[in-house]
Amino acid sequence: MSDGLIASMAQALRDPAQPCPAGLRESCPADPAQRFAIYRNNVQSSLIDALADTFPVCRALVGADFFIGLARAHLQACPPRSPVLMEYGAEFADFIAGYPPAASLPYLADMARLERAYVMSAHAADSVPLTSRQLQDLLSRADLLHDARFQLDPALALVRSDYAVASLWGAHQEDDVTAALAGVRPGQPETALLVRSDLVVAITAVPQSSGELIQHLIDGASLGSAASIFQARHPDFDLASALGLLIAYQSIIHVQLPGAN
Amino acid sequence: MASEYGTQTAMPLPAGLSGALPARAGLGLKPEHLRSMLQHRPDISFFEVHAENFMVEGGPLLHFLHRLRDDYPLSVHGVGLSIGGMAPPDADHLTRLAGLLERFQPASFSEHLAWSTHNGVFFNDLLPLVYDPVSLARVCAHIDQIQERLGRRLLLENPATYVAYAGSSLDEADFIGQVIRRTGCGLLLDVNNLHVTCRNHQRDPLAYLRALPLHAVGEIHLAGCAEHTTADGGALLIDSHDRAVAEDVWGLYCTALTLTGPQPTLIERDANLPPLEEQLAEAQTADRMLCACLTA
Amino acid sequence: MNKSLTTASLALALGTALSLAAVNAHADDMAKSAAKEKCFGISMKAKNDCKAGAGTTCAGTSHADYQGNAWKNVPAGTCEKTASPTSPTGFGQLKEFNAKGA
Repeated sequence: MSDGLIASMAQALRDPAQPCPAGLRESCPADPAQRFAIYRNNVQSSLIDALADTFPVCRALVGADFFIGLARAHLQACPPRSPVLMEYGAEFADFIAGYPPAASLPYLADMARLERAYVMSAHAADSVPLTSRQLQDLLSRADLLHDARFQLDPALALVRSDYAVASLWGAHQEDDVTAALAGVRPGQPETALLVRSDLVVAITAVPQSSGELIQHLIDGASLGSAASIFQARHPDFDLASALGLLIAYQSIIHVQLPGAN
Repeated sequence: MASEYGTQTAMPLPAGLSGALPARAGLGLKPEHLRSMLQHRPDISFFEVHAENFMVEGGPLLHFLHRLRDDYPLSVHGVGLSIGGMAPPDADHLTRLAGLLERFQPASFSEHLAWSTHNGVFFNDLLPLVYDPVSLARVCAHIDQIQERLGRRLLLENPATYVAYAGSSLDEADFIGQVIRRTGCGLLLDVNNLHVTCRNHQRDPLAYLRALPLHAVGEIHLAGCAEHTTADGGALLIDSHDRAVAEDVWGLYCTALTLTGPQPTLIERDANLPPLEEQLAEAQTADRMLCACLTA
Repeated sequence: MNKSLTTASLALALGTALSLAAVNAHADDMAKSAAKEKCFGISMKAKNDCKAGAGTTCAGTSHADYQGNAWKNVPAGTCEKTASPTSPTGFGQLKEFNAKGA
């Protein structure tokens, strides 16, 4: 029955240890197992390539051979669930965190998180930032600012790490990666801010305090409550410079004032 | 006999809302080359892109595709509907596809006679199906759902295959003919796939070509293929899209044109890309054949 | 509780942020075009296609045989250049991991 055949083919395509499924026509030239191997190789290699395209810095960090082993193990555990391969790799960072051979590189999982965030940011919905005039107008309604809620650019994202992932990523964009890496201290915690401007995503390391403030705003906190938490946790840091990041990167796309719709 | 398929029982759906593709040569376009095409603005009659590469919310991909769409007719080629799969086409995926087609209004939409998803897992390959009455009914049901959801006619592409099933009771060309008669979809005649399949299964390509429902052809694909020697010494052809179109394929294309009349003809190249001039030269060869083969 | 103070400081912070941004406009103008090209390269890469042969020897790729199990357990890429004297774990010093059955 053909239905069982598709099921056994699907299983054999995923697991190279499985034998070639029965039910293939004996043919010349080349026996069915050799023919089936073409499909299996194509499935495996094209999905590994898709991961390599989304995680180029991870691949560079560990080398091509290790990456193939890692990617193969990942696609056994978490095969793609959507035909849109742009989205494949959502679980890659968590998988790396639990993958013993990668344990000697504790920042690899966070680098995967950052690279995945990069792709998501690149393809996030378009939005129109508030103009500086619109932002200035808010100052005339200062009494409403406390309960104002900011809606930020869908392309904006944050990745916080105990390692210097933003700097490591940046070094891999340079022509001389080795030279650039010499100046990076991997053990330095960083908060990476991703913003998309002029169709291009930029990654910059921002102060952890600013990252937290922005994260609170993303999570829907009012400006007043986000600012209160910020000042309680980071009394030495400047709220204006944290807000200034969002303004400089034109990341505020809407401000919901209390009483307005 | 082609005339066997001369009458359609299903209502023809509009191919697209922006008219048909011109019956001239077009180029397959990968997203990473969109920007350079916009710079060079080559003299080419249309471009074709893979639907799944543009299923995003915003950003550069959609921006540059919109700009390309302003200047060239567009064909959208799907690789993820898994028409030959056991499950119906995924509703979410169909919704995203419908959104993409709505947004770009391509002149043509096509998909493959293959399966690529099973039990929710996507394999990223065009896998062959058993040709029997059960899978025929299933494929027709899936195409009906797709055409109804999209509100347009799709072109179905004949596959390149490396295995055949002992359980297939229908001939591939006959299977395709029945699908087209029952669903009213069109045929995307991939001449390279035909060449690859016939060589791999030791069939006569001209007989296979004539057995296809050629009246329903709405587009032709041409591509390069690779010779692969298997571990047991067998020689197979692989639909690799990584080199120039083979001489045999040009010959079959010329014959096909005499049977189908002029057709939009796509040069597909997905790997090992040569300079743009070489791709344009292949497109010009196709354009010349579109005249020469039809007047010969 | 002292919301009026917070309101005033919020307005001050936002006002300062706005004037800072006005001064710094364009100062932060993103990257040279070379870096921009690389960024486009990452985000514009096609991942779906309908060709075959990425894993076959004839497709012009030098990939390993994906059906085999031969691969290296030790990361051996640019991570070896990231060792840092300030890093207690010494990320550059890699230890072989003996995966069971891998």
